[in-house]
Amino acid sequence: MALEGDVGSGLIAIGAGIAVGLAGLGSGMAEKDIGAAAVGAITEDASLFGKAMIYMVLPETIVIFGLVIAILAIFVM
Amino acid sequence: MSLPESMSRIVVAGTKAHMDEAIEVLYSAEAVHLIDHTVDADEGFSIGSPREYSSKASERLLKVRSMEKELGINKHTKTPSLPVEKVQSRILSNSVESAEDEVMRVLDRRNDLNQRIAALNTKKNNLEILQMLPVDLQFYGGYESIVAIVGTVAEDPSEALIRAMDVEYFVATTKKGPTAVAVFMRNRDRDKIMSTLSAFGFSEIQVPVGATGSPAEALKATGTEIAEAEAGLAKVEEELAAIRERHQAFLRASDEELSITVEKGEVPLRIATSEYSFVIDAWVPTKMVHQVKEKLEKDSEGRMYVEFQETRGRKDAETEAVEKRFKTVPTRMNNGRYSSGYEYATKLVDVPKYQEIDPTILIAIFLPMFFGFMVGDVGYAIPFIILGAYGLKVAKGRDWRIIARVLFFGGIWSFLFGLLFYGECLGMHFTGTYSPTGITWEHIFGMEEGALGAFSAVLPDFIHSEGGHTITHVGVGKLVEIPLLLKLSVYVGVVHLMIGYICSFINLKMRHGLKHAFMEQGGWILAFIGLVMFCYALASALIGDMSNLMTVYKVPFVIGIVLLAAGCGINIKSHGGMSIMELPGIVGNILSYTRLAAIGMSKAGMALAFNYIAFIMIYDSMGGILGLILGFAVFLIGHLMIFFLAILSAGLHSLRLQYVELMAKFFVGGGKEYSPLKVTRKKTHYEPLNTENKTKAEV
Repeated sequence: MALEGDVGSGLIAIGAGIAVGLAGLGSGMAEKDIGAAAVGAITEDASLFGKAMIYMVLPETIVIFGLVIAILAIFVM
Repeated sequence: MSLPESMSRIVVAGTKAHMDEAIEVLYSAEAVHLIDHTVDADEGFSIGSPREYSSKASERLLKVRSMEKELGINKHTKTPSLPVEKVQSRILSNSVESAEDEVMRVLDRRNDLNQRIAALNTKKNNLEILQMLPVDLQFYGGYESIVAIVGTVAEDPSEALIRAMDVEYFVATTKKGPTAVAVFMRNRDRDKIMSTLSAFGFSEIQVPVGATGSPAEALKATGTEIAEAEAGLAKVEEELAAIRERHQAFLRASDEELSITVEKGEVPLRIATSEYSFVIDAWVPTKMVHQVKEKLEKDSEGRMYVEFQETRGRKDAETEAVEKRFKTVPTRMNNGRYSSGYEYATKLVDVPKYQEIDPTILIAIFLPMFFGFMVGDVGYAIPFIILGAYGLKVAKGRDWRIIARVLFFGGIWSFLFGLLFYGECLGMHFTGTYSPTGITWEHIFGMEEGALGAFSAVLPDFIHSEGGHTITHVGVGKLVEIPLLLKLSVYVGVVHLMIGYICSFINLKMRHGLKHAFMEQGGWILAFIGLVMFCYALASALIGDMSNLMTVYKVPFVIGIVLLAAGCGINIKSHGGMSIMELPGIVGNILSYTRLAAIGMSKAGMALAFNYIAFIMIYDSMGGILGLILGFAVFLIGHLMIFFLAILSAGLHSLRLQYVELMAKFFVGGGKEYSPLKVTRKKTHYEPLNTENKTKAEV
């Protein structure tokens, strides 16, 4: 790995952390409302599970973007 | 890629006089999916009325269900299956009614006793309060001009009573303060006294009518009465248990038998009848049409006439040409033995339409494979396989069965990936030195480096140079070969998505023809391929040297741009300009597959941490028996945690990739499930001997 104690690689590590962290927060915020609504809908009608799950996990991709950026930052920069 | 089974429409006609036989024959064919008759669909025909036996059966069913509820018999109660003939004859000889009489009599007695016990308990509480006062029970009543009130208070009212009125009173005090008070006063003072007392939290109690002697004696007598009533109640409960034991098999069996009778009796509500005849429209799987026609005509002894109407194709034009009630064709999913286990996963989203590809087989292939790729560890794979096999053996519910199935087949995939690709067990490589903790299974078993080399010779040939030390055949380190795993995930995603686009194209071609399908979906397929090539060239150049873009990666770059432009052109023509906005979504979809690598990494990271703590921080530094025990405990708990997290994360993410990325490309859903008329018996059965005898006798 390119992290050998100099300031530059420290900044890269911080950047990677921020990328994943903020992206995670973002998907969390998006998922919380969908999740609450999905649980409500499933309580009413259990057959909605599949559809509810699709909506529930849609914002999850956001955090994957963050992760990709973090990995690129660490391994490519 | 399987389509739902081809369906054909038939018409069955017969005379009303033989309706009951006709219903029996329709049920015995087990392939006839009724099409509900609608009012005014055919001139001269109207919806039929239920059979005469149906209302009596419903009434009895209601009685049976209420008895089951009262006796606590439910679908989990284990009862033996009874012969149908016996159940039917018992129902006909009014066994349901006599059982109801018996149950209701005992239930009434139980209610009476419960009420009596409640009343006695109130009396007992009152007597316990009266017991605190030094007055015998007969002195509280029987006066002409004096009245007594008794009750509980929160504070001592003595002073107020002395000051205000001409009364005689008794106050009982316990350690907690004043509790009971009895006041004797003139009749006319009663209201005033009550309002005075109310300031002290007074709540009146009733003195038992006609009671004499000391409250303690009365209390004793009441206690005996309560004990007697409770003993009576226990006896009644015993009786109920005996009744339940005696009747539960019959109740469960008659519940099933009566439900079947009611269902059959209501079939005429779904079909067309005239004064003397009935006509039934129905769907039958195409390959069974001939067989069904033969069976219906033979079993009804020629009283039913069956006519083939059409075999419905998948084209939209065919559907549009028919009457409204024949438009929806029921979907009978057509999957093999392995993939039919995953039909439930498809149905969780929706039942496929008759005119579209059933994605079940794709889920059956990719769901366990992705799961295995993400877990990819021999150490977790074996418990997954065992757990899944056990689940498949014992689980009955559909939800549990699909989970067990994914665990079993996912476990097999993760065993294969773990052994042949990652070369890992519980987060440690079998061989080699380059793993982040430096611990390998060779190291643990005290073998020389490379001792397991022969075993792991099948592993992919990746060369690592670290400190001049080159080792091959060690497997792909999840935390080391990250760029490789990421690339691989993206390639898997491209293939997976491409399958989705192709399925969509096939669906459209099937329904609307090739030209329409190309205009509708061809643009997306071209744009997808173009975007993949463009991004490949761009990303490779960005990571390496930007000047390579127009030299090494020139071909994919240029072809990518051309295809992208062509795809966008077609899309703009058929979907409008806004379709350009959806292009970044494709990149998002592809990148979404990097979760395959990411989840594998997160598992490996956790395993690394626990292994490090157990082996290096605890065992190596502490040593001895204590170090061994403590290290092993951390090792066990840590890996158990990863194991259960793997079910959640790997299982759900793998499912998500099917639902969101793959199925969203082509799956519409909204089909109606094929449900032929048939009887499923669990608590009743036909005795094979009897039926044989009967047929012989008939012959």
